Amino acid sequence: MNIINFLRNAFAGRKLATVGFIWLCFILLAAIFAPLIAPFDPLEIDPVGRLAEPGLPNLFGTDHFGRDTFSRAIYGARMTVIIGVGSVVVALVCGGLIGMLSAYFTRLGHFLMRGVDVLMAFPALLMALVLITLLERSVFNTILVIGIVYATTTARILYGMTLKLKGEVFVDAAVCSGAGHSSILFRHILPNLVSPLLVQASFIFAFAQLQAAALDFLGLGLPPEVPSWGNMLSEERIYVTRAPWLLIYPGLLIVLSVFSMNLVGDALRDSIDPRFKDDIAGV
Amino acid sequence: MLAYTAKRLLTLIPTLLAATILVFLFVHLIPGDPAAILLGDTATPEEVAQLSAELGFDRPLWIQYFLWLGNVLQGDLGTSIFFREPVTAVIGSGAETSILLASMTMVWIIILGLPIGVLSATKHGTWIDQITSSGAMLAASVPTFWLGLYLIMIFSVTLGWFPSSGFPSLSDEGGITNLRYLILPSLTLAAPNAALIVRLVRASMLDVAREDHVRTARAKGLHPARVAIKHVFRNALIAVAAAFGFTFAALISEAVVTETVFSLPGIGRLVVQSILRRDYPVIQGVILVIVVLYMVINLLVDLAYARLDPRVSLK
Repeated sequence: MNIINFLRNAFAGRKLATVGFIWLCFILLAAIFAPLIAPFDPLEIDPVGRLAEPGLPNLFGTDHFGRDTFSRAIYGARMTVIIGVGSVVVALVCGGLIGMLSAYFTRLGHFLMRGVDVLMAFPALLMALVLITLLERSVFNTILVIGIVYATTTARILYGMTLKLKGEVFVDAAVCSGAGHSSILFRHILPNLVSPLLVQASFIFAFAQLQAAALDFLGLGLPPEVPSWGNMLSEERIYVTRAPWLLIYPGLLIVLSVFSMNLVGDALRDSIDPRFKDDIAGV
Repeated sequence: MLAYTAKRLLTLIPTLLAATILVFLFVHLIPGDPAAILLGDTATPEEVAQLSAELGFDRPLWIQYFLWLGNVLQGDLGTSIFFREPVTAVIGSGAETSILLASMTMVWIIILGLPIGVLSATKHGTWIDQITSSGAMLAASVPTFWLGLYLIMIFSVTLGWFPSSGFPSLSDEGGITNLRYLILPSLTLAAPNAALIVRLVRASMLDVAREDHVRTARAKGLHPARVAIKHVFRNALIAVAAAFGFTFAALISEAVVTETVFSLPGIGRLVVQSILRRDYPVIQGVILVIVVLYMVINLLVDLAYARLDPRVSLK
Protein backbone atom coordinates (compact mmCIF):
# COMPACT_ATOMS: atom_id res chain seq x y z
CA MET A 1 0.00 0.00 0.00
CA ASN A 2 1.15 3.50 -0.80
CA ILE A 3 2.18 5.24 2.45
CA ILE A 4 0.91 8.70 1.46
CA ASN A 5 -2.51 7.25 0.61
CA PHE A 6 -2.50 5.28 3.85
CA LEU A 7 -1.83 8.44 5.87
CA ARG A 8 -4.42 10.44 3.92
CA ASN A 9 -7.08 7.78 4.54
CA ALA A 10 -6.17 7.52 8.20
CA PHE A 11 -6.60 11.22 8.93
CA ALA A 12 -9.64 11.85 6.75
CA GLY A 13 -12.47 13.13 8.96
CA ARG A 14 -10.43 12.92 12.17
CA LYS A 15 -9.93 16.47 13.34
CA LEU A 16 -8.37 15.71 16.72
CA ALA A 17 -5.87 13.25 15.23
CA THR A 18 -4.98 15.77 12.52
CA VAL A 19 -4.34 18.42 15.16
CA GLY A 20 -2.18 15.89 17.00
CA PHE A 21 -0.22 15.17 13.82
CA ILE A 22 0.38 18.89 13.24
CA TRP A 23 1.51 19.32 16.87
CA LEU A 24 4.02 16.49 16.38
CA CYS A 25 5.30 18.22 13.25
CA PHE A 26 5.89 21.34 15.36
CA ILE A 27 7.80 19.28 17.92
CA LEU A 28 9.91 17.83 15.13
CA LEU A 29 10.67 21.30 13.75
CA ALA A 30 11.53 22.58 17.23
CA ALA A 31 13.85 19.61 17.68
CA ILE A 32 15.64 20.16 14.38
CA PHE A 33 15.98 23.94 14.67
CA ALA A 34 16.43 24.11 18.47
CA PRO A 35 19.62 26.23 18.33
CA LEU A 36 17.86 28.79 16.11
CA ILE A 37 14.62 28.96 18.13
CA ALA A 38 15.94 28.88 21.69
CA PRO A 39 16.70 32.45 22.81
CA PHE A 40 19.23 31.33 25.47
CA ASP A 41 21.75 28.57 26.04
CA PRO A 42 19.77 25.80 27.83
CA LEU A 43 22.76 25.01 30.07
CA GLU A 44 23.75 28.59 30.95
CA ILE A 45 23.52 29.15 34.71
CA ASP A 46 22.52 32.57 36.05
CA PRO A 47 22.54 32.68 39.87
CA VAL A 48 21.03 36.17 39.97
CA GLY A 49 17.99 35.36 37.83
CA ARG A 50 16.89 32.19 39.64
CA LEU A 51 13.21 31.18 39.68
CA ALA A 52 12.16 34.20 37.60
CA GLU A 53 8.47 34.26 36.74
CA PRO A 54 7.33 33.72 33.15
CA GLY A 55 7.46 36.92 31.10
CA LEU A 56 10.11 38.71 29.08
CA PRO A 57 12.82 37.82 28.28
CA ASN A 58 12.23 34.37 29.86
CA LEU A 59 8.92 33.22 28.30
CA PHE A 60 8.54 30.21 30.61
CA GLY A 61 10.52 31.70 33.52
CA THR A 62 13.80 30.32 34.87
CA ASP A 63 14.66 27.32 37.02
CA HIS A 64 16.58 27.11 40.30
CA PHE A 65 19.88 27.45 38.45
CA GLY A 66 18.57 30.49 36.59
CA ARG A 67 18.46 28.53 33.32
CA ASP A 68 15.87 29.65 30.77
CA THR A 69 12.95 27.17 30.91
CA PHE A 70 11.72 27.99 27.40
CA SER A 71 15.12 27.23 25.86
CA ARG A 72 15.36 24.03 27.90
CA ALA A 73 11.88 23.04 26.73
CA ILE A 74 12.90 23.58 23.08
CA TYR A 75 16.00 21.44 23.55
CA GLY A 76 13.78 18.99 25.44
CA ALA A 77 11.83 18.52 22.21
CA ARG A 78 15.10 17.38 20.67
CA MET A 79 15.56 14.76 23.42
CA THR A 80 11.93 13.68 22.97
CA VAL A 81 12.48 13.02 19.28
CA ILE A 82 15.84 11.32 19.85
CA ILE A 83 14.51 9.04 22.60
CA GLY A 84 11.28 8.30 20.72
CA VAL A 85 12.83 7.59 17.34
CA GLY A 86 15.74 5.70 18.91
CA SER A 87 13.48 3.43 20.98
CA VAL A 88 11.23 2.81 17.99
CA VAL A 89 14.21 1.85 15.82
CA VAL A 90 15.67 -0.49 18.45
CA ALA A 91 12.28 -2.08 19.19
CA LEU A 92 11.25 -2.51 15.55
CA VAL A 93 14.61 -3.74 14.26
CA CYS A 94 15.27 -6.20 17.11
CA GLY A 95 11.66 -7.21 17.72
CA GLY A 96 10.78 -7.17 14.03
CA LEU A 97 13.67 -9.39 13.01
CA ILE A 98 13.01 -11.85 15.85
CA GLY A 99 9.30 -11.98 15.08
CA MET A 100 9.66 -12.33 11.31
CA LEU A 101 12.47 -14.88 11.42
CA SER A 102 10.64 -16.89 14.09
CA ALA A 103 7.49 -17.11 12.04
CA TYR A 104 9.37 -17.92 8.84
CA PHE A 105 11.83 -20.49 10.17
CA THR A 106 9.54 -22.50 12.43
CA ARG A 107 12.24 -24.43 14.27
CA LEU A 108 14.31 -21.36 15.07
CA GLY A 109 11.07 -19.64 15.98
CA HIS A 110 10.19 -22.24 18.57
CA PHE A 111 13.44 -21.43 20.34
CA LEU A 112 13.39 -17.63 19.91
CA MET A 113 9.76 -17.13 20.86
CA ARG A 114 10.25 -19.08 24.12
CA GLY A 115 12.99 -16.58 24.91
CA VAL A 116 10.60 -13.73 24.18
CA ASP A 117 8.02 -15.37 26.48
CA VAL A 118 10.58 -15.44 29.29
CA LEU A 119 11.44 -11.76 28.81
CA MET A 120 7.73 -10.90 28.76
CA ALA A 121 7.44 -12.45 32.23
CA PHE A 122 9.19 -9.29 33.42
CA PRO A 123 6.81 -6.31 33.72
CA ALA A 124 7.95 -3.45 31.42
CA LEU A 125 9.07 -0.90 34.00
CA LEU A 126 10.77 -3.57 36.14
CA MET A 127 12.71 -4.84 33.14
CA ALA A 128 13.81 -1.30 32.31
CA LEU A 129 14.95 -0.84 35.92
CA VAL A 130 16.89 -4.12 35.90
CA LEU A 131 18.67 -3.23 32.66
CA ILE A 132 19.46 0.31 33.78
CA THR A 133 21.05 -1.08 36.97
CA LEU A 134 23.58 -2.87 34.80
CA LEU A 135 24.32 0.17 32.63
CA GLU A 136 25.47 3.75 33.11
CA ARG A 137 23.06 6.67 32.84
CA SER A 138 23.31 7.94 29.28
CA VAL A 139 21.11 8.90 26.35
CA PHE A 140 22.16 5.81 24.40
CA ASN A 141 21.50 3.42 27.29
CA THR A 142 18.07 4.91 27.96
CA ILE A 143 17.16 4.34 24.31
CA LEU A 144 18.58 0.82 24.43
CA VAL A 145 16.68 -0.12 27.59
CA ILE A 146 13.31 1.23 26.42
CA GLY A 147 13.84 -0.24 22.95
CA ILE A 148 14.57 -3.71 24.36
CA VAL A 149 11.49 -3.58 26.60
CA TYR A 150 9.21 -2.92 23.61
CA ALA A 151 11.12 -5.26 21.31
CA THR A 152 9.47 -8.19 23.09
CA THR A 153 5.90 -7.05 22.37
CA THR A 154 6.89 -6.09 18.81
CA ALA A 155 8.39 -9.55 18.28
CA ARG A 156 5.21 -11.23 19.40
CA ILE A 157 2.98 -9.04 17.23
CA LEU A 158 5.13 -9.42 14.12
CA TYR A 159 5.35 -13.17 14.73
CA GLY A 160 1.57 -13.45 14.46
CA MET A 161 1.35 -11.23 11.40
CA THR A 162 4.17 -12.96 9.53
CA LEU A 163 2.58 -16.34 10.25
CA LYS A 164 -0.64 -15.10 8.65
CA LEU A 165 1.17 -13.71 5.59
CA LYS A 166 3.23 -16.88 5.20
CA GLY A 167 0.05 -18.81 4.41
CA GLU A 168 -1.01 -16.41 1.66
CA VAL A 169 -0.98 -17.36 -2.01
CA PHE A 170 1.51 -14.67 -3.05
CA VAL A 171 4.14 -16.27 -0.81
CA ASP A 172 3.52 -19.66 -2.42
CA ALA A 173 3.84 -17.97 -5.79
CA ALA A 174 7.17 -16.43 -4.78
CA VAL A 175 8.42 -19.83 -3.59
CA CYS A 176 7.35 -21.43 -6.87
CA SER A 177 9.12 -18.78 -8.91
CA GLY A 178 12.31 -19.69 -7.09
CA ALA A 179 12.68 -16.74 -4.71
CA GLY A 180 15.22 -17.18 -1.90
CA HIS A 181 14.43 -16.86 1.79
CA SER A 182 15.69 -13.30 2.16
CA SER A 183 13.84 -12.23 -0.97
CA ILE A 184 10.57 -13.73 0.30
CA LEU A 185 11.00 -12.23 3.76
CA PHE A 186 12.12 -8.75 2.83
CA ARG A 187 10.70 -8.17 -0.64
CA HIS A 188 7.40 -10.02 -0.43
CA ILE A 189 6.39 -10.20 3.25
CA LEU A 190 7.94 -7.02 4.70
CA PRO A 191 6.18 -4.53 2.36
CA ASN A 192 2.85 -5.94 3.59
CA LEU A 193 3.87 -5.21 7.17
CA VAL A 194 4.71 -1.53 6.62
CA SER A 195 1.38 -0.09 7.73
CA PRO A 196 1.03 -2.25 10.89
CA LEU A 197 4.66 -1.40 11.70
CA LEU A 198 3.81 2.29 11.39
CA VAL A 199 0.96 1.83 13.88
CA GLN A 200 3.21 -0.10 16.24
CA ALA A 201 5.88 2.60 15.92
CA SER A 202 3.47 5.34 16.93
CA PHE A 203 2.36 3.50 20.09
CA ILE A 204 5.95 2.63 21.04
CA PHE A 205 6.89 6.29 20.56
CA ALA A 206 4.13 7.32 22.97
CA PHE A 207 4.98 4.64 25.57
CA ALA A 208 8.68 5.42 25.29
CA GLN A 209 8.05 9.07 26.27
CA LEU A 210 6.22 8.04 29.42
CA GLN A 211 8.80 5.41 30.34
CA ALA A 212 11.69 7.80 29.72
CA ALA A 213 10.02 10.48 31.83
CA ALA A 214 9.42 7.95 34.62
CA LEU A 215 13.06 6.84 34.52
CA ASP A 216 14.20 10.49 34.61
CA PHE A 217 11.93 11.10 37.57
CA LEU A 218 13.36 8.11 39.46
CA GLY A 219 16.87 9.44 38.80
CA LEU A 220 17.68 6.45 36.62
CA GLY A 221 17.15 7.88 33.14
CA LEU A 222 19.10 10.49 31.21
CA PRO A 223 22.08 12.15 32.94
CA PRO A 224 20.73 15.04 35.07
CA GLU A 225 22.37 17.80 32.99
CA VAL A 226 20.60 16.74 29.78
CA PRO A 227 17.66 19.09 29.11
CA SER A 228 14.75 16.65 28.74
CA TRP A 229 11.17 17.29 29.84
CA GLY A 230 11.38 14.42 32.32
CA ASN A 231 14.59 15.77 33.86
CA MET A 232 13.09 19.27 34.07
CA LEU A 233 10.17 17.88 36.09
CA SER A 234 12.40 15.70 38.20
CA GLU A 235 14.88 18.45 39.12
CA GLU A 236 12.38 21.20 39.81
CA ARG A 237 9.70 19.24 41.64
CA ILE A 238 10.74 20.57 45.06
CA TYR A 239 9.96 24.10 43.81
CA VAL A 240 6.38 23.17 42.93
CA THR A 241 4.86 25.59 45.45
CA ARG A 242 7.32 28.47 44.89
CA ALA A 243 7.55 28.24 41.12
CA PRO A 244 4.62 26.21 39.77
CA TRP A 245 5.43 27.15 36.12
CA LEU A 246 8.54 24.99 36.29
CA LEU A 247 6.31 21.90 36.43
CA ILE A 248 3.39 23.05 34.31
CA TYR A 249 5.21 23.65 31.01
CA PRO A 250 7.33 20.48 30.74
CA GLY A 251 4.43 18.37 32.07
CA LEU A 252 1.97 19.79 29.54
CA LEU A 253 4.49 19.28 26.76
CA ILE A 254 4.81 15.59 27.68
CA VAL A 255 1.03 15.12 27.96
CA LEU A 256 0.32 16.87 24.63
CA SER A 257 3.01 14.95 22.77
CA VAL A 258 2.03 11.53 24.15
CA PHE A 259 -1.66 12.29 23.60
CA SER A 260 -0.97 13.36 20.00
CA MET A 261 1.06 10.26 19.31
CA ASN A 262 -1.71 8.07 20.74
CA LEU A 263 -4.31 9.85 18.59
CA VAL A 264 -2.17 9.39 15.51
CA GLY A 265 -1.63 5.72 16.36
CA ASP A 266 -5.35 5.24 16.86
CA ALA A 267 -6.18 6.86 13.53
CA LEU A 268 -3.58 4.75 11.74
CA ARG A 269 -4.79 1.56 13.41
CA ASP A 270 -8.39 2.14 12.41
CA SER A 271 -7.45 2.38 8.76
CA ILE A 272 -5.20 -0.65 8.82
CA ASP A 273 -5.64 -3.85 6.87
CA PRO A 274 -8.42 -5.78 8.68
CA ARG A 275 -6.27 -8.95 8.69
CA PHE A 276 -4.04 -7.44 11.36
CA LYS A 277 -6.64 -5.61 13.47
CA ASP A 278 -6.54 -8.17 16.29
CA ASP A 279 -2.76 -8.22 16.49
CA ILE A 280 -2.03 -4.56 17.09
CA ALA A 281 -1.32 -3.33 20.61
CA GLY A 282 -2.92 -0.34 22.31
CA VAL A 283 -6.57 -1.24 22.84
CA MET B 1 -10.58 -27.73 30.93
CA LEU B 2 -8.44 -30.20 32.91
CA ALA B 3 -6.23 -30.88 29.90
CA TYR B 4 -5.91 -27.13 29.30
CA THR B 5 -4.95 -26.50 32.94
CA ALA B 6 -2.33 -29.24 32.81
CA LYS B 7 -0.94 -27.87 29.55
CA ARG B 8 -0.69 -24.34 30.92
CA LEU B 9 0.97 -25.54 34.13
CA LEU B 10 3.49 -27.55 32.13
CA THR B 11 4.41 -24.57 29.94
CA LEU B 12 4.74 -22.38 33.03
CA ILE B 13 7.52 -24.48 34.56
CA PRO B 14 10.20 -24.01 31.85
CA THR B 15 9.39 -20.29 31.58
CA LEU B 16 9.62 -19.93 35.34
CA LEU B 17 12.96 -21.76 35.41
CA ALA B 18 14.33 -19.62 32.58
CA ALA B 19 13.20 -16.47 34.41
CA THR B 20 14.98 -17.61 37.59
CA ILE B 21 18.15 -18.19 35.55
CA LEU B 22 17.96 -14.59 34.29
CA VAL B 23 17.41 -13.28 37.81
CA PHE B 24 20.32 -15.41 39.03
CA LEU B 25 22.61 -14.17 36.26
CA PHE B 26 21.75 -10.55 37.13
CA VAL B 27 24.34 -10.42 39.94
CA HIS B 28 26.94 -12.05 37.68
CA LEU B 29 26.42 -9.45 34.93
CA ILE B 30 27.58 -6.68 37.26
CA PRO B 31 31.33 -6.21 36.77
CA GLY B 32 33.37 -7.41 39.76
CA ASP B 33 33.48 -10.29 42.23
CA PRO B 34 29.87 -11.41 42.86
CA ALA B 35 30.53 -12.15 46.53
CA ALA B 36 31.96 -8.64 47.01
CA ILE B 37 28.96 -7.19 45.17
CA LEU B 38 26.52 -9.05 47.41
CA LEU B 39 28.31 -7.92 50.58
CA GLY B 40 28.82 -4.28 49.66
CA ASP B 41 31.80 -1.96 49.99
CA THR B 42 32.32 -2.40 53.72
CA ALA B 43 32.94 -6.16 53.59
CA THR B 44 36.31 -7.56 54.73
CA PRO B 45 38.23 -9.99 52.49
CA GLU B 46 37.48 -12.78 54.98
CA GLU B 47 33.73 -12.18 54.74
CA VAL B 48 33.96 -12.16 50.94
CA ALA B 49 35.87 -15.44 50.97
CA GLN B 50 33.37 -16.99 53.38
CA LEU B 51 30.29 -16.00 51.31
CA SER B 52 32.10 -17.05 48.15
CA ALA B 53 32.58 -20.55 49.61
CA GLU B 54 29.03 -20.63 51.01
CA LEU B 55 27.38 -19.79 47.67
CA GLY B 56 29.94 -21.82 45.72
CA PHE B 57 31.27 -18.92 43.65
CA ASP B 58 34.47 -20.90 43.05
CA ARG B 59 32.46 -23.70 41.42
CA PRO B 60 30.95 -23.89 37.91
CA LEU B 61 28.11 -21.48 37.16
CA TRP B 62 25.43 -24.15 36.86
CA ILE B 63 26.24 -25.57 40.31
CA GLN B 64 26.06 -22.03 41.71
CA TYR B 65 22.63 -21.68 40.11
CA PHE B 66 21.30 -24.83 41.77
CA LEU B 67 22.79 -23.82 45.13
CA TRP B 68 21.08 -20.44 44.79
CA LEU B 69 17.80 -22.01 43.65
CA GLY B 70 17.95 -24.42 46.60
CA ASN B 71 18.31 -21.47 48.98
CA VAL B 72 15.48 -19.60 47.25
CA LEU B 73 13.15 -22.58 47.54
CA GLN B 74 13.91 -22.68 51.27
CA GLY B 75 12.96 -19.00 51.51
CA ASP B 76 16.52 -17.69 51.75
CA LEU B 77 17.04 -14.76 49.38
CA GLY B 78 20.28 -13.57 50.98
CA THR B 79 21.03 -10.61 53.23
CA SER B 80 20.48 -6.94 52.45
CA ILE B 81 23.70 -4.91 52.35
CA PHE B 82 21.96 -1.77 53.55
CA PHE B 83 19.59 -3.12 56.20
CA ARG B 84 21.78 -6.04 57.36
CA GLU B 85 18.59 -8.10 57.48
CA PRO B 86 17.34 -11.08 55.47
CA VAL B 87 16.00 -9.94 52.09
CA THR B 88 12.73 -11.79 52.73
CA ALA B 89 12.13 -9.66 55.85
CA VAL B 90 12.92 -6.45 53.94
CA ILE B 91 10.49 -7.37 51.16
CA GLY B 92 7.89 -8.52 53.69
CA SER B 93 7.94 -5.11 55.37
CA GLY B 94 6.88 -3.46 52.09
CA ALA B 95 4.24 -6.05 51.23
CA GLU B 96 1.37 -4.55 53.25
CA THR B 97 1.64 -1.15 51.55
CA SER B 98 2.02 -2.62 48.08
CA ILE B 99 -0.91 -5.03 48.39
CA LEU B 100 -3.22 -2.40 49.89
CA LEU B 101 -2.20 0.16 47.25
CA ALA B 102 -2.79 -2.30 44.41
CA SER B 103 -6.16 -3.36 45.87
CA MET B 104 -7.41 0.21 46.31
CA THR B 105 -6.21 1.04 42.82
CA MET B 106 -8.23 -1.89 41.46
CA VAL B 107 -11.32 -0.56 43.26
CA TRP B 108 -10.88 2.83 41.53
CA ILE B 109 -10.28 1.16 38.19
CA ILE B 110 -13.51 -0.80 38.53
CA ILE B 111 -15.72 2.06 39.75
CA LEU B 112 -14.31 4.52 37.22
CA GLY B 113 -13.43 2.31 34.27
CA LEU B 114 -16.52 0.09 33.95
CA PRO B 115 -19.35 2.68 34.01
CA ILE B 116 -17.52 5.15 31.78
CA GLY B 117 -16.67 2.38 29.34
CA VAL B 118 -20.29 1.18 29.22
CA LEU B 119 -21.51 4.76 28.75
CA SER B 120 -19.04 5.31 25.94
CA ALA B 121 -20.10 2.11 24.16
CA THR B 122 -23.86 2.57 24.55
CA LYS B 123 -23.61 6.18 23.31
CA HIS B 124 -21.33 5.05 20.48
CA GLY B 125 -20.74 7.75 17.88
CA THR B 126 -22.31 10.59 19.89
CA TRP B 127 -20.53 13.52 21.51
CA ILE B 128 -20.61 11.68 24.87
CA ASP B 129 -18.62 8.85 23.32
CA GLN B 130 -16.17 11.29 21.75
CA ILE B 131 -15.56 13.06 25.04
CA THR B 132 -15.19 9.90 27.12
CA SER B 133 -12.98 8.12 24.56
CA SER B 134 -10.66 11.07 24.03
CA GLY B 135 -10.71 11.79 27.77
CA ALA B 136 -9.61 8.24 28.45
CA MET B 137 -6.81 8.55 25.93
CA LEU B 138 -5.73 11.83 27.49
CA ALA B 139 -5.69 10.22 30.95
CA ALA B 140 -3.50 7.44 29.58
CA SER B 141 -1.06 10.07 28.26
CA VAL B 142 -0.34 11.74 31.60
CA PRO B 143 2.91 10.80 33.38
CA THR B 144 1.79 9.36 36.73
CA PHE B 145 4.34 11.27 38.79
CA TRP B 146 3.20 14.57 37.33
CA LEU B 147 -0.43 13.77 38.12
CA GLY B 148 0.61 12.70 41.62
CA LEU B 149 2.48 15.95 42.26
CA TYR B 150 -0.55 18.01 41.25
CA LEU B 151 -2.94 15.89 43.33
CA ILE B 152 -0.65 16.56 46.31
CA MET B 153 -0.64 20.27 45.47
CA ILE B 154 -4.43 20.48 45.25
CA PHE B 155 -5.75 18.00 47.81
CA SER B 156 -2.96 17.99 50.42
CA VAL B 157 -1.28 21.39 50.30
CA THR B 158 -4.15 23.67 49.29
CA LEU B 159 -7.28 21.90 50.57
CA GLY B 160 -5.65 19.78 53.28
CA TRP B 161 -8.08 16.90 52.72
CA PHE B 162 -5.59 14.05 52.52
CA PRO B 163 -2.06 13.44 53.83
CA SER B 164 0.62 14.06 51.19
CA SER B 165 3.05 11.26 51.91
CA GLY B 166 3.92 8.15 53.90
CA PHE B 167 1.71 5.32 55.09
CA PRO B 168 1.55 4.04 58.69
CA SER B 169 0.58 0.37 58.92
CA LEU B 170 -3.07 -0.51 59.54
CA SER B 171 -1.95 -2.07 62.82
CA ASP B 172 -0.56 1.30 63.97
CA GLU B 173 -2.56 4.03 65.65
CA GLY B 174 -5.45 5.11 63.46
CA GLY B 175 -6.22 1.58 62.26
CA ILE B 176 -8.39 1.40 59.17
CA THR B 177 -8.54 5.21 58.86
CA ASN B 178 -4.88 5.08 57.82
CA LEU B 179 -6.20 4.04 54.43
CA ARG B 180 -6.71 7.77 53.76
CA TYR B 181 -2.95 7.92 53.14
CA LEU B 182 -3.49 5.70 50.11
CA ILE B 183 -6.39 7.58 48.51
CA LEU B 184 -4.30 10.01 46.42
CA PRO B 185 -1.65 7.41 45.49
CA SER B 186 -4.26 4.87 44.42
CA LEU B 187 -6.10 7.49 42.33
CA THR B 188 -2.82 8.45 40.67
CA LEU B 189 -2.00 4.86 39.84
CA ALA B 190 -5.56 4.15 38.75
CA ALA B 191 -5.86 7.01 36.23
CA PRO B 192 -3.93 5.55 33.27
CA ASN B 193 -5.13 2.01 34.00
CA ALA B 194 -8.79 2.98 34.33
CA ALA B 195 -8.38 4.79 31.03
CA LEU B 196 -7.22 1.57 29.37
CA ILE B 197 -10.18 -0.31 30.89
CA VAL B 198 -12.59 2.33 29.53
CA ARG B 199 -11.18 1.80 26.06
CA LEU B 200 -11.23 -1.97 26.45
CA VAL B 201 -14.84 -2.10 27.74
CA ARG B 202 -15.90 0.14 24.86
CA ALA B 203 -14.04 -1.90 22.24
CA SER B 204 -15.25 -5.29 23.46
CA MET B 205 -18.86 -4.11 23.87
CA LEU B 206 -18.84 -2.77 20.32
CA ASP B 207 -17.44 -6.12 19.17
CA VAL B 208 -20.13 -8.12 20.95
CA ALA B 209 -22.86 -5.75 19.77
CA ARG B 210 -22.16 -6.85 16.19
CA GLU B 211 -22.90 -10.51 16.98
CA ASP B 212 -26.02 -12.38 15.89
CA HIS B 213 -27.41 -13.11 19.34
CA VAL B 214 -27.59 -9.38 20.05
CA ARG B 215 -29.52 -8.76 16.85
CA THR B 216 -31.90 -11.55 17.87
CA ALA B 217 -32.36 -10.00 21.32
CA ARG B 218 -33.16 -6.65 19.73
CA ALA B 219 -35.44 -8.24 17.15
CA LYS B 220 -37.56 -9.93 19.78
CA GLY B 221 -38.25 -6.49 21.24
CA LEU B 222 -36.14 -6.43 24.41
CA HIS B 223 -35.58 -3.07 26.00
CA PRO B 224 -32.31 -1.53 24.69
CA ALA B 225 -30.95 -1.14 28.24
CA ARG B 226 -31.60 -4.84 28.90
CA VAL B 227 -29.83 -5.80 25.68
CA ALA B 228 -26.90 -3.54 26.56
CA ILE B 229 -26.46 -4.94 30.06
CA LYS B 230 -27.52 -8.56 29.83
CA HIS B 231 -26.50 -9.50 26.30
CA VAL B 232 -23.66 -7.17 25.43
CA PHE B 233 -21.99 -6.12 28.68
CA ARG B 234 -21.97 -9.58 30.25
CA ASN B 235 -20.26 -11.09 27.23
CA ALA B 236 -17.84 -8.20 26.93
CA LEU B 237 -16.96 -8.66 30.58
CA ILE B 238 -15.04 -11.86 29.80
CA ALA B 239 -12.26 -9.96 28.05
CA VAL B 240 -12.43 -7.19 30.64
CA ALA B 241 -12.12 -9.64 33.55
CA ALA B 242 -8.91 -10.96 32.02
CA ALA B 243 -7.61 -7.42 31.66
CA PHE B 244 -8.30 -6.80 35.36
CA GLY B 245 -6.04 -9.71 36.23
CA PHE B 246 -3.21 -8.54 34.00
CA THR B 247 -3.58 -4.99 35.31
CA PHE B 248 -3.36 -6.16 38.92
CA ALA B 249 -0.19 -8.12 38.13
CA ALA B 250 1.33 -5.10 36.39
CA LEU B 251 0.36 -2.67 39.16
CA ILE B 252 2.91 -4.13 41.53
CA SER B 253 5.75 -2.89 39.35
CA GLU B 254 3.98 0.19 37.97
CA ALA B 255 3.63 1.35 41.59
CA VAL B 256 7.39 2.08 41.57
CA VAL B 257 6.83 5.67 40.44
CA THR B 258 3.72 6.34 42.53
CA GLU B 259 5.29 4.99 45.71
CA THR B 260 8.29 7.26 45.10
CA VAL B 261 6.12 10.38 44.60
CA PHE B 262 4.12 9.74 47.77
CA SER B 263 7.07 8.29 49.76
CA LEU B 264 5.15 5.10 50.49
CA PRO B 265 7.07 2.28 52.20
CA GLY B 266 6.14 -0.28 49.52
CA ILE B 267 8.03 -2.79 47.40
CA GLY B 268 8.20 -0.45 44.40
CA ARG B 269 10.05 2.29 46.28
CA LEU B 270 12.27 -0.42 47.78
CA VAL B 271 13.42 -1.39 44.26
CA VAL B 272 14.35 2.18 43.33
CA GLN B 273 16.12 2.88 46.60
CA SER B 274 17.96 -0.43 46.41
CA ILE B 275 19.13 0.42 42.89
CA LEU B 276 20.38 3.82 44.07
CA ARG B 277 22.03 2.18 47.12
CA ARG B 278 23.47 -0.65 45.01
CA ASP B 279 21.84 -3.13 47.40
CA TYR B 280 22.01 -5.99 44.90
CA PRO B 281 20.63 -8.84 47.08
CA VAL B 282 17.43 -6.82 47.61
CA ILE B 283 17.15 -5.92 43.90
CA GLN B 284 17.57 -9.58 42.98
CA GLY B 285 15.05 -10.70 45.60
CA VAL B 286 12.39 -8.17 44.62
CA ILE B 287 12.75 -8.96 40.92
CA LEU B 288 12.35 -12.64 41.66
CA VAL B 289 9.27 -12.12 43.83
CA ILE B 290 7.60 -9.75 41.33
CA VAL B 291 8.33 -11.95 38.31
CA VAL B 292 7.04 -15.11 39.98
CA LEU B 293 3.95 -13.27 41.22
CA TYR B 294 3.38 -11.77 37.78
CA MET B 295 3.61 -15.17 36.09
CA VAL B 296 1.38 -16.92 38.62
CA ILE B 297 -1.31 -14.21 38.42
CA ASN B 298 -1.16 -14.32 34.63
CA LEU B 299 -1.62 -18.10 34.73
CA LEU B 300 -4.61 -17.79 37.07
CA VAL B 301 -6.11 -15.16 34.78
CA ASP B 302 -5.70 -17.43 31.77
CA LEU B 303 -7.34 -20.31 33.59
CA ALA B 304 -10.19 -18.12 34.80
CA TYR B 305 -10.58 -16.83 31.25
CA ALA B 306 -10.81 -20.38 29.88
CA ARG B 307 -13.41 -21.19 32.52
CA LEU B 308 -15.50 -18.10 31.68
CA ASP B 309 -15.22 -18.64 27.96
CA PRO B 310 -15.00 -22.37 27.06
CA ARG B 311 -14.07 -21.47 23.47
CA VAL B 312 -10.58 -20.49 24.65
CA SER B 313 -9.44 -23.92 25.86
CA LEU B 314 -10.65 -25.55 22.66
CA LYS B 315 -8.41 -23.43 20.45
